[in-house]
Amino acid sequence: MFFKQVLRNAAKNRKGNGLFFGSLVIAIVAFYTLLSLGQQDVMIYLKTVESEAVAKLLKLLPAVYLVSLFFVFFLVYFACKYQTDSRRREFGMYLMLGMKRSRMFLMLFFETLWSSLISLLIGIPAAVFLTEGISLATARIVGLGIIGHHFSFSLPAIFWTVGGFVIVQMLAMFIICIRLAKTQPADFLHAGAQESRISMSVAKSSLAFIIGIALLLFAYYLGAFRLHTLDARVFLVLILCGITGTFSFYKGLGGFLGRGIKRKSPDAVGLQTFTARQVQENVLSQHKSLAIASLLLLMAMACVSYGISMGLGRSVSSRSTDFSLFGDEQQINDILEREDVQEMVKTSYPMYLSMKNDEYWDDEPNQFDYSKFEEALRKVDGTENILENLHIDYIIAESSYNELLKSINKEEINLRENELALYSSMATDGDFGILIEKSLENDAAIGIDGIEYSISKTLYYDNIVADRAITLYLALVVPDELFGRLAREPEAYCRNVSLKDEIVDEMGLMQAVSQMDAKLADTGIEYDSFLSGIGRNLFYTVSASYLTIYLGILFFIIANTVIGLKYLIQQRQTKHRYKTLAILGAGTEKMCRSVKKQIQIFFMLVLTVALISSVVAIYSMFTSFTKLPIGTNINTVIVISVVVLLFFVLTEIIYISIVKRTAGREIRSLH
Amino acid sequence: MDTFDRILQVEELTKTYGRGDNKTEALKGITFDVLEGEFLGIMGASGSGKTTLLNCIATMLRPTSGKIILKGQDISGFKGSKLADYRGKEIGYLFQEFELLDNLTARENITLPLSLHGITAREAEKDIQELAAMLDITGVLDKFPGQMSGGQKQRVAAARALISSPDIVLADEPTGALDSKNSKILMDKLSAINKIQNKTIMMVTHDANAASYCSRIMFIQDGCIFHELRRNIKKESTADFYDRIVAVMAQLGGGSANVL
Repeated sequence: MFFKQVLRNAAKNRKGNGLFFGSLVIAIVAFYTLLSLGQQDVMIYLKTVESEAVAKLLKLLPAVYLVSLFFVFFLVYFACKYQTDSRRREFGMYLMLGMKRSRMFLMLFFETLWSSLISLLIGIPAAVFLTEGISLATARIVGLGIIGHHFSFSLPAIFWTVGGFVIVQMLAMFIICIRLAKTQPADFLHAGAQESRISMSVAKSSLAFIIGIALLLFAYYLGAFRLHTLDARVFLVLILCGITGTFSFYKGLGGFLGRGIKRKSPDAVGLQTFTARQVQENVLSQHKSLAIASLLLLMAMACVSYGISMGLGRSVSSRSTDFSLFGDEQQINDILEREDVQEMVKTSYPMYLSMKNDEYWDDEPNQFDYSKFEEALRKVDGTENILENLHIDYIIAESSYNELLKSINKEEINLRENELALYSSMATDGDFGILIEKSLENDAAIGIDGIEYSISKTLYYDNIVADRAITLYLALVVPDELFGRLAREPEAYCRNVSLKDEIVDEMGLMQAVSQMDAKLADTGIEYDSFLSGIGRNLFYTVSASYLTIYLGILFFIIANTVIGLKYLIQQRQTKHRYKTLAILGAGTEKMCRSVKKQIQIFFMLVLTVALISSVVAIYSMFTSFTKLPIGTNINTVIVISVVVLLFFVLTEIIYISIVKRTAGREIRSLH
Repeated sequence: MDTFDRILQVEELTKTYGRGDNKTEALKGITFDVLEGEFLGIMGASGSGKTTLLNCIATMLRPTSGKIILKGQDISGFKGSKLADYRGKEIGYLFQEFELLDNLTARENITLPLSLHGITAREAEKDIQELAAMLDITGVLDKFPGQMSGGQKQRVAAARALISSPDIVLADEPTGALDSKNSKILMDKLSAINKIQNKTIMMVTHDANAASYCSRIMFIQDGCIFHELRRNIKKESTADFYDRIVAVMAQLGGGSANVL
């Protein structure tokens, strides 16, 4: 009997609250996806090349998991509260019929457990299916090849998903039960009608509203114009202003709406005034939830755009050469002439890279004169740091750099007489490259041995060796003849090898590089491969984009569910008003329209602020600390942003329509 | 009796709850008329069917059979927008628990039935002021229900029931949630409106005090009209009428055998 009732109640709850149930399933999928990250093909592969970084990432996962649990807890708490609130009369009846409180709570716990079990039964297979898909897709995209793929089913991931999920559900139920334990049967039976709390003073709410807007505007200003200095204090002030501004804005918003309603109500017809007052009351009583939801949505949008741009930026092929071979010229030639090697190689060329000769090492004005370059740098704002550390230690021969450009189908450098080009492997990090390029516009030049060499307006940044770990802060690409004069070691630094495009296309880059790597490993020659480059590249893609997108989606779901549930809770608490309205002559359709309008406005109030804040946040993000890497195709970024935005809009529409349908059903059930 | 004087005719009204063995007959074929300008009280024990009767007239319940004719129109068959039009426009309803929307100001509550029928508060401002003055609620028009006393709330509710000049005002235990002082104020006001505006009021009540303001009282028992009292308004004071009501109530309590 007891368990029959538990099953029946649980089924009723699921049916009546599909929105929440669906969100739970999504949360489970998200948990499993996160926790099984270590089992993904890409990650398994990365462990072999970037074990240290992967280990660090995997150590980070529990923290991300805990953060997600924390947020999912709120989702579960609100949903359970919504469900128990709507059953207060039933609880009162149980108590009056002689059911012990402990038995009632036991019943609630079993119901929760049963519902958890069902959502897990749906969520986990869906999650396994999804992670397999992601695993295969990423493997395909990054060129890992899917031959080695095997079905992965992570038991620890399932254990932690189930464990975390059940614990969160139980904890939420426990807190709710504490509250229920203090409620008298009479309060249960006469639930619902509570006095409205529209009592905040006009002056107080106006003040909160104005302060909120001012703080938000100030935060926007800081974000858009002051963040590029990357000053931690600015960042702190921005975060504080943004958060307090949002809270204060929503605190004062109810009063602001109230004044608008008062102004318009003499001319309102139908349920206009009622609709507006319902929204206002909701805003007044739920202003904290609204602020939290709005901030969560902001975080969601910022996380997802950051994740996508990171993934996109890093995966834009910065591949320039696949292997760099070091050592004896003859030995290298022998290897390259081997048939099995030759059939994979597209091109090979010596790379001339050297430190400056000792005589040019000291900054004697006659030897190396930076003054015109410095002058050009000074004309650009924000170059103080660069000026302080200005030093160029390396030189690259023009012909060998041109070979490299040719191999990746880029336009070659064509230095004129008395011209140099500037190279930096750090051009894509932050502002550095952009500032240098700007300064090159101002007729930058370097004097060598008293002769002035103008610097070409383009800054070059394609990696000159296969291993990305070698970085060159600043180097000069000089004509071969000048290289001979300036170089400390005029012989070739290494021999670069590029693989044939058709082989890369056929096998995927990673497989192709691995295969060649295997061949070279036997020869005993010293070499660097692009593998570690791919590894790092992938690692950034996976860790930065995967985690942030994961968090973004989680925040998005939670924010929407919280807004939806908050609305539905209020509607249920004010159910009697709709009965009164019906007596006063409002038809069911009219009331349903009012309810839909309320939901629309309620969601819009949260979304508008979140959207404006996100636009500023994303703008400041991409103009300050996470500049899009040079070479990222702006069209791709725009297309992806539109797709993401459409995804958000679509999900929003789905959420809003589910809430509308639930609300409409409740109104119709009044008759 | 001239049919023009009859504002409401109830004919053979029955209402049955449940089916088969569980059938309960709440109204067993009640027939009566209400005259224009009448202040009709309906009294009876709990479960006698008085609230069911009121709810049928208010269209909150659909009768099982019989007719309810308001100003010549049978309202028991109304549906959809016709029903919505009837509610709030043709009838005003006064609840025991006031049922004011507590997130709307008094003024907004009062004008709600009007705006539902396309009339704005601006257009009705004169009526609002008149009613507010009559019911002594001018000072609370811009307050929310949470900021008013129970008596003020019920008078605001009364204003809401009267604002659209309905043909009849239905009141379900309007003094049920008020103390004696506020009950008296409310009944004085309702009685004045009945007399001055010739407004027809039909009131269900338990309270003999409140009932003594009526011009006629119908006693209902077990779904049938059981007794009727008429007050001779010119000769009989409310106090005398009260004594008569109490006497009938005592007889009702003692069983039908004692009633003449």
